[in-house]
Amino acid sequence: MNSPVLLGEVALGAPALAALLLVVFPWARRRRAPAAGLTIASSLVAAAAAAKLVIDRTGGAPDVRVTIPWLPAQGHTLAEVGLQLDGVSVVMLLVVTVVALCVQVFSLEYMRDETARSYGRYFAYHALFLFSMNLLVLAPNLLQLFAGWELVGVTSYLLIGFYFARPSAARAAVKAFWMTKLADMGFLFALLVLFASTGSFDWTVAASPQVATAVTALLFIAVVGKSAQFPLHVWLPDAMEGPTPVSALLHAATMVAAGVYMLVRADPLFARAPATRDLMLWVGAGTAAFAALLALVQTDIKRVLAYSTCSQLGLMVAAIGAGSAFAGFFHLGTHAFFKALLFLAAGSVIHAVHSNELGAMGGLRRRMPLTSAVFVVGALSLSGVPGFAGFASKDLVLASVEGKAGWVPWVLLMASAFLTALYMGRVLVKAFLGPPSEAAAHAHEPGFSMTGPLVLLAVPAVFAGLLGGWLARSLGADYHLHLGLTPVVASAAAVLGLGAAVFVFGGAGRRVPWAAALEYFDRGAFVDRGWESLYRQVLLRVSGWARWVDRYLVDGVINALGWGTLEVGTTVRPLQTGRTRDYVFAVMVGALVLAWLGGWR
Amino acid sequence: MRLTEVLLLATLLFSIGLYGVLTRRHAVALLLSIELMANAANVVFVAFATLRGGPGEALVLFALVVTVSEVAVGLALVMLLYRRHGDTVLDLAREARH
Repeated sequence: MNSPVLLGEVALGAPALAALLLVVFPWARRRRAPAAGLTIASSLVAAAAAAKLVIDRTGGAPDVRVTIPWLPAQGHTLAEVGLQLDGVSVVMLLVVTVVALCVQVFSLEYMRDETARSYGRYFAYHALFLFSMNLLVLAPNLLQLFAGWELVGVTSYLLIGFYFARPSAARAAVKAFWMTKLADMGFLFALLVLFASTGSFDWTVAASPQVATAVTALLFIAVVGKSAQFPLHVWLPDAMEGPTPVSALLHAATMVAAGVYMLVRADPLFARAPATRDLMLWVGAGTAAFAALLALVQTDIKRVLAYSTCSQLGLMVAAIGAGSAFAGFFHLGTHAFFKALLFLAAGSVIHAVHSNELGAMGGLRRRMPLTSAVFVVGALSLSGVPGFAGFASKDLVLASVEGKAGWVPWVLLMASAFLTALYMGRVLVKAFLGPPSEAAAHAHEPGFSMTGPLVLLAVPAVFAGLLGGWLARSLGADYHLHLGLTPVVASAAAVLGLGAAVFVFGGAGRRVPWAAALEYFDRGAFVDRGWESLYRQVLLRVSGWARWVDRYLVDGVINALGWGTLEVGTTVRPLQTGRTRDYVFAVMVGALVLAWLGGWR
Repeated sequence: MRLTEVLLLATLLFSIGLYGVLTRRHAVALLLSIELMANAANVVFVAFATLRGGPGEALVLFALVVTVSEVAVGLALVMLLYRRHGDTVLDLAREARH
């Protein structure tokens, strides 16, 4: 009985079918109801299949792995594709499909002002994305994971550039694509190294420490790009040019988490490479603190959340680097819910006040009580206030780095926890408390299709933390609640951060004392400039050399051959005089020579 | 003894023909020279057939037919040459040189 396999195929096939139908039949894509209906129905089916899989696992269903040969070669198989249904993948599948479903339902109303064509295109992209993401999540080896990885990259590009008529959106899409593609070179080389040295694409393969270190270091480069870690994080804030629900799904909850997911999957490989893990610990902790600092001075509500996403992904990477893949994965799951919630609530606010700027908001709690309430829930969860989902997972992350590398990562992550509470408090104070702004005075709650997903997501944003024990059992990880230094300090950081936010940002135009320096750094976009000059100084220069080689060496040989042929022809041409006598003479001479050779001496 | 003399005659005829082919500039003279060379071969055939026996005479008749055809084609070419250039000097026909 391979019922789990069937469910996995359904979860993979439903969005694929929806995407295919929308691509093949333009009339469906160009109308609102068929496109949205097909996509949401496929997501619903996929989510139901994922839920059934998770329930079956709770009932003790075993891990399932089915593969089919993909690249057969001379009697053996070069590569396989298939499905892997274990604790990690089915939970991730459920998180992805549920968040995707919520986001798609939310989009029904949020995107209503688009033309029918854009509306249909939007949902077609969503169906394609869900298929790609499920392909990635259910991958049994790194090769299929890479295929899904690249596909979500493409859909990310398409959705960031959804408003392609806007130059900034088109530019942001290209930037995101190139930055992640640059990092994906790491993935490609990792696959090559892994296959060349072990003949396999599996993450469970017994690689030697040297191979494991090389492969994991290359894989980590790809993660740095996909999960927006320093210094490749620069694309994520710009990716906020896409529609807000897209930011919620791709650039907060699921796609950027694919990097972390890959780290969890490939953990057996990383376990053989302590050097890479140390690097991950430092990069993750550094990004967490750095991005949280920058989030403090953003004036665009979506950019605050984008830097927050960088920061939270840093937390996950640091936890996995510290050797606790379970903590990273747990935080990935809770983060997906509360960050999607925050983004969708922000979308609801943007929909109401027609601006992304925090300055245009204010006092929204009276006009939009429900949105305000769920945003507060999301913010408390993100800040890690005890009792919310974010606390449980963040506590686990912080506990995992306790005492590592001379406590420095721990201090960095604690600082980022405090800063997280501070910047979320800032958003709450500026957008929802205080006197209503002009735009906020006319704001009103959106319809049911937008508030419904908000309420639905608010539930796991509060209670997902309770599932830690169940998740740990399902994954076979060690999990126990503990009382000690870390939870106390983390709770204090969260509460103090929120309190400090009310105190610091309480009045109009108030900001943190060191904001000027941060704003200078933010405006200066030094990291962006660094990449740009790297591009100009290195890539363009190398391209110039390559062009010289191509033009004068490669083309030169070809041109010389052609020129030489012409020259030889010109030299030999006078032999053909066109006089009959000469030819007859040549014939006679030839005949004599033949006769002489034939024995007539 | 007579065979040697006949063969010498044939060689002489052939050489005269070859000389003509190599030196004549007019197409008609060229054709005449080719006829000489062909007939030298015919002489050899006849000589061997008469003195040693064998099917040489039949071959001569065959060669005569071939020669007639060849001359017909050759004269047609000469006609074309004349129409094109107003003369029958063969060196005029050098269009295929380049």
